Amino acid sequence: MSGLSLHKKIEENAGLLIFGILFVSAIGGLVQILPILNQDSLSTATENTRVYSAVELTGRDIYIREGCSVCHSQQVRPLIAEVERYGAYSRAGEFVYDRPFLWGSKRTGPDLHRVGGKFSDDWHRIHLIDPRSVVEASIMPAYPWLADRDASDTGNISAKLSALRILGHPYSDEDIDNADADLQGIKEIDALIAYLQMLGTGYSEGDSS
Amino acid sequence: MGTEIYSHLLIRSLYQPIDAFQELAKVEPSPMGVLFRYTIWLLLLPPIFSLIGAANFGWRLGADEPLLLPTNSLVLISIGYFLALVFGLITTAIISSWMAATYGASANFGKHVALITIVGEPLAIASVIHLFPDVFVNLLVLIPTMMWSMYLLYKGVPIVLDTPPERGMLMASSLVGWLLVAAVSLLGLSMALWTLGVGPLLGV
Amino acid sequence: MEAVTNNVYHDKVVIRLIQFSIVWALAAMGAGVYISAELIWPGIDFGQFWLSFGRLRPLHTNGIIFGFGVSALMATAFYSVQRTSHVPLFAPKLAWFCCYAWQLLVLTGGLSLLAGWNTSKEYAELEWPFDIVIAVIWVCFGVVFFGTIATRKIKPIYISNWFYGALIIVIAMLHIVNNLAIPVSIGKSYSLYAGAQDAVVQWWYGHNAVGFLLTGGFLGMMYYFLPKHAERPIWSYRLSVVAFWAFTYSYIWAGPHHLHYNSIPEWVQSLGMVMSIVLLAPSWATLINGVMTVSTAWEKLRTDPALKFIVLSLAFYGLATFEGPMMSLRSVNVVSHFTDWTIGHVHSGALGWNAMITYGTFYFMVPRLVGRELHSVRLANIHFWLALAGTMLYIVSMWAAGVSQGLLWLSVDNIGELSFSFKDIMASMAPYYGLRLVAGLIFLSGTALMAFNLFMTLKGQHATRVSVPAVDPAYGVS
Repeated sequence: MSGLSLHKKIEENAGLLIFGILFVSAIGGLVQILPILNQDSLSTATENTRVYSAVELTGRDIYIREGCSVCHSQQVRPLIAEVERYGAYSRAGEFVYDRPFLWGSKRTGPDLHRVGGKFSDDWHRIHLIDPRSVVEASIMPAYPWLADRDASDTGNISAKLSALRILGHPYSDEDIDNADADLQGIKEIDALIAYLQMLGTGYSEGDSS
Repeated sequence: MGTEIYSHLLIRSLYQPIDAFQELAKVEPSPMGVLFRYTIWLLLLPPIFSLIGAANFGWRLGADEPLLLPTNSLVLISIGYFLALVFGLITTAIISSWMAATYGASANFGKHVALITIVGEPLAIASVIHLFPDVFVNLLVLIPTMMWSMYLLYKGVPIVLDTPPERGMLMASSLVGWLLVAAVSLLGLSMALWTLGVGPLLGV
Repeated sequence: MEAVTNNVYHDKVVIRLIQFSIVWALAAMGAGVYISAELIWPGIDFGQFWLSFGRLRPLHTNGIIFGFGVSALMATAFYSVQRTSHVPLFAPKLAWFCCYAWQLLVLTGGLSLLAGWNTSKEYAELEWPFDIVIAVIWVCFGVVFFGTIATRKIKPIYISNWFYGALIIVIAMLHIVNNLAIPVSIGKSYSLYAGAQDAVVQWWYGHNAVGFLLTGGFLGMMYYFLPKHAERPIWSYRLSVVAFWAFTYSYIWAGPHHLHYNSIPEWVQSLGMVMSIVLLAPSWATLINGVMTVSTAWEKLRTDPALKFIVLSLAFYGLATFEGPMMSLRSVNVVSHFTDWTIGHVHSGALGWNAMITYGTFYFMVPRLVGRELHSVRLANIHFWLALAGTMLYIVSMWAAGVSQGLLWLSVDNIGELSFSFKDIMASMAPYYGLRLVAGLIFLSGTALMAFNLFMTLKGQHATRVSVPAVDPAYGVS
């Protein structure tokens, strides 16, 4: 049967057309995604990578809610200039507890993967509430509301930890029981800062990976 | 017919483009005549302006410090710029005359060279802004000029190449497509060369 | 509602979808213009969380893709599938359900983004309740579309329907796989995939949402309306068959070029790069097919604004489908990644290709749908030049901004020290962002002109009743 007469069959039969499209378009995805999902090195944490604490996870969810990843990448590429500017390049094993990943596609502001520990908590606090008071040329939005809202209102933190435990994150019963208490008395901005300060601390020079 | 009336057309096209196109439609210029007596000189303007500007002030890509390159690399870059312009213009004219068969347009190659020259002329003149080598200021001047050139292309193709407006519009759009692809290829090529080590140092 | 007989095309739902599409275009482009102004004057969010850049940006992209884009695709799919099958829509009530349910989804989904319900996966930002609703409506869309095809009176399924069919099937597959997550509350869920694996899945989705919705879906538009306008069949049937299957097969592989030099295995990056370059062939084969269809049938053409828009959109399609593979080369991508060049590339596709072909199609359909001339051809011609000027200004300013960013970020001096601070480079972008704002305003004002023009054309008119033509028994389904 020649190619075109085969095609005549397909284009006269809606069922065959649907099946053909599904089959042809699925191949590429299967070949790429299945091996990636089964590659252990991509789901094995580096030595210093740990799960997010209740406070850090809350901070991360605030980071997601405010769309920070729209302007800040979390991915230091293995390029001389990039390593010099931001620090050690990013390793896959540092992201195993990131659901979803936050690598970003645009750097309107600087990369944040190695921002942990670079600035003081107070600097972050002032910067988040009024960016232009510390960086004159900044075009970052101000986030004054983060200082007013209670971190515990961000969502049911013990439910979040339980959900992540189902997905394989090693939280203990104790972690989940104490989660609510951990968020008592702190504001959203504190949680976000805690997250920023632990970013990129999963790898230090000399680690094997 | 010769190319004598052409210098007058080049000037007239700046203020009465439609009339100039109609006059051009009546003649059959020799391609080499147009190319060497007029086009080449117009194409020399942008590299010369940019050489003078860059040598004296240095290009400002945006950040504070201007990018100052040694004179001999500037000369090399200007020559490259000139060759790219000549290459671009001639290939556009060739593609245009190649398309002419499809669009029932005049196949006289000289007309295609002349038309593309008139279309590009505003840009060549506006490139005087290269004397002030700041990317933003250059964009500010060259983008409106480019819109004018595109307008000239859409208006000029049916008149000069003697084809119905319907087909002229199709042909002009095809040429716009080609020019967009050519522009972005140039951009991509220079980036690839740059990252591979030609040009100022990059930490890659 | 008047009784609809079985032998009349269902065009009212098409008109309603066009109207919604235009409303979303104005709203979402308006949001785009606003956020581009925020990048120059960050204070104009007035400390309001719902005006903050990070929340408005997903609203802009989702509004364009799902509001403007999908409404336009549904409208044109419903319009053309009836006319290429010679039967009225299958399950017209379901078509109306798709129409209104989708608008409600876009509206509430948009509000949820402002409220901060955001998965942060690009173009899949809507949270799980909306994802489920999308899947349900999408299935209904598929039932109406494939149902119409199943009841067709013409034996071969026309080319445009292959593309609309691929749109429906592949987007459903991508949407479901990428959005798998464990919900923790009504507005929050955690992705089933983590880290590098999540990245690969997300860009498999993200790239092919562009591929099968913004490229493939709109190619369906081209394959119906271009030959219709030229009143002759597509230039090469054989080419369209080969290009369609090659497109469907190879697009899916190209996603990883969004992750060059990122923490994913190198073989995936290289595979993505190679397949992106391969993709140029089917993309341009389709382009050539479209251009040749109009070019060889010019006798039938009237140069109306509709045709001008469609033909120009092909030029930008040519640009975008060339620029994409070029930017997927690692040596180009190393400069362009993370910069405004990407934003420019997206808009050469979204403004130059998607918006322009949609505008051309609307200018073509609306007068025919109500049986009267376009309100003002002159306004439409002005719109054409505004759209072209806006797009060019946008692309060129983002080229300049992106190349400057990319080069200055990577620039090092003789002793290997960074030449520029990030802050200085960022501060130097303001003039380009200013140009981009102007570009956006020009393009938006053109869209507003079209909205007015089509509103005046539709005003007080009812959909013309178009009867299904008699079918030559030779083509009838036996």
